Amino acid sequence: MKISILKAGLLTTVQDMGRYGYLSQAVPISGAMDQLAHRLANKAVGNDDDLATIEFTYADASFKAETDLLLAYFGDGAFLVDHDQVMPAEKPLFIRAGSVIKLINNPVGIRIYLAIAGGWEVPEVMGSKSTFLAAGFGGFNGRALKKGDVLSNNLCLAKVSEAIFKQLKNNQLSYPNWRISRESLIPENRHTIRVVLANEINWFDATSIISFLTKTYQIDKRSNRMGYHLNGKALVRKVKKELLSTAVTPGIIQVTGSGDLVILMADCQTTGGYPRIAHVAAVDLPLCAQLKPGDEIRFSEISRDEAEELYLEREHDLSLITTAIGLKYLNL
Amino acid sequence: MTEESPYFTPDYSVNIYGLNEQSVTVEFGTVISEEILQLITSYNRVLMQNPFPGLITTVPAYCTLTVFFDPLLVHTSNLPGETCFDKVSYFLNHIKQSESRQAINKPVEIIIPVCYGGSFGADIETVAKINQLSIAEVIERHSSMQYIVYMIGFVPGFAYMGGMDASLQTPRKQVPDATIPAGSVGIAGMQTGIYPIETPGGWQIIGRTPLKMFDVNRAEPSLLKGGNLVRFRAINIDEFNTYGKQ
Repeated sequence: MKISILKAGLLTTVQDMGRYGYLSQAVPISGAMDQLAHRLANKAVGNDDDLATIEFTYADASFKAETDLLLAYFGDGAFLVDHDQVMPAEKPLFIRAGSVIKLINNPVGIRIYLAIAGGWEVPEVMGSKSTFLAAGFGGFNGRALKKGDVLSNNLCLAKVSEAIFKQLKNNQLSYPNWRISRESLIPENRHTIRVVLANEINWFDATSIISFLTKTYQIDKRSNRMGYHLNGKALVRKVKKELLSTAVTPGIIQVTGSGDLVILMADCQTTGGYPRIAHVAAVDLPLCAQLKPGDEIRFSEISRDEAEELYLEREHDLSLITTAIGLKYLNL
Repeated sequence: MTEESPYFTPDYSVNIYGLNEQSVTVEFGTVISEEILQLITSYNRVLMQNPFPGLITTVPAYCTLTVFFDPLLVHTSNLPGETCFDKVSYFLNHIKQSESRQAINKPVEIIIPVCYGGSFGADIETVAKINQLSIAEVIERHSSMQYIVYMIGFVPGFAYMGGMDASLQTPRKQVPDATIPAGSVGIAGMQTGIYPIETPGGWQIIGRTPLKMFDVNRAEPSLLKGGNLVRFRAINIDEFNTYGKQ
């Protein structure tokens, strides 16, 4: 299966679940910003979660099917359109060779993940197919996709992918009647972000901590795959000592010297020296990945144990989805 | 027959806090010191040689070692504790000190050739002027010390080193440079470092090394690791241009 990029869009990169093996050499995790959408897109075409998908930022992109394709997309940045017909998200799509697929704007979010049966085939760099733009490695030649790029899948398909492909190929409709409901996995209010207070919480004065947990913060224009700057009430420190650089990871909320908040995202540095007020619960980090400049959010506190429980529940739900799709197609 | 407990009671104390659902940080102190660096290095080695179920990787820093793990594997392991945090903390709290303090191999010394000044080190005059030294003295002092790598952070392969001659201390630039070429050697305050990849930065640049400090095609991409010893060796432009090409 093969596509060629006709229009690349604002920022289009190949990503997977990230690069964990070289954190001690300051190689960031990278990977899909919205790990949930990435994993569900893979599941919908019968892939393992960690195969590479394409992360599109906003719409304004298009590609051509050079062969018949089995695709799926998840996320809120765009809708796929084939001959003016919107292709439904959250389910496998059979697309005939020659089709030109356009992305049109979905105002809800910012990113979609396009999975192909077998996963997009790019070389593994340091154990991952994720693109890290700042250092120019990983993904497709270490860069964002451009017009004219041709991407293929890995030809080795899982049995489930083969079964879905065969079923849809002989179907009138190019997609099945089932879909994976992403909204059943995420909270209804996508602008309340659950957080766990961090180690340096007591470095901030009580009023600031209350502000952090009650006031509205707005995503600033200076927001990208490395992190989101937030506009809102600046926090005041009561402990003025310096934090010696120590490991940080996506989801951590740092407080800069001027008291501003920065949520670290997929491409963030591996170490940092700003005190941390909280970290975004892992289950809500995908919500952050869909936020765009101007969006307003609030933080709500949960305990470390609750965050862990939510994480394990989410993983359990995700494994049930894989099992269900397997049962449907393989009569396991 | 009694089974020997796989856990030990440590005779030093660490503070452990959760970083997120899949990582915890072990804090060994709050100041930069070679003793803490060595403790972290040996603790890390023992942990990597005797991993707990679900251990993914570790990130050493000045005073901390952060441990990444797969919560699903920790959750189903039979480590004592209710939560993943408890289970991992229990394990990390009971790494035997006698093991973690066992003699470390002699630290590796790495020689870094540097072509000082000129277009490779446009800020060497600033460093000289601020410290009332000649350019030759800056080069002499910078290349005569032995440095120690405390940690790798900021960008891939960037080493935070200690041990610079205090007479070279120079503040960062007020306005950072938009691009600093890979291999640039700089000074910021009491620190010296080498930019492994092209990036914006505010350090005073005094020279450039022909070595690739970070190379994705190597099995170990970063040339330097925490705990390494470093010396700079002054080379001229001809040596720079032909370095590694003979």
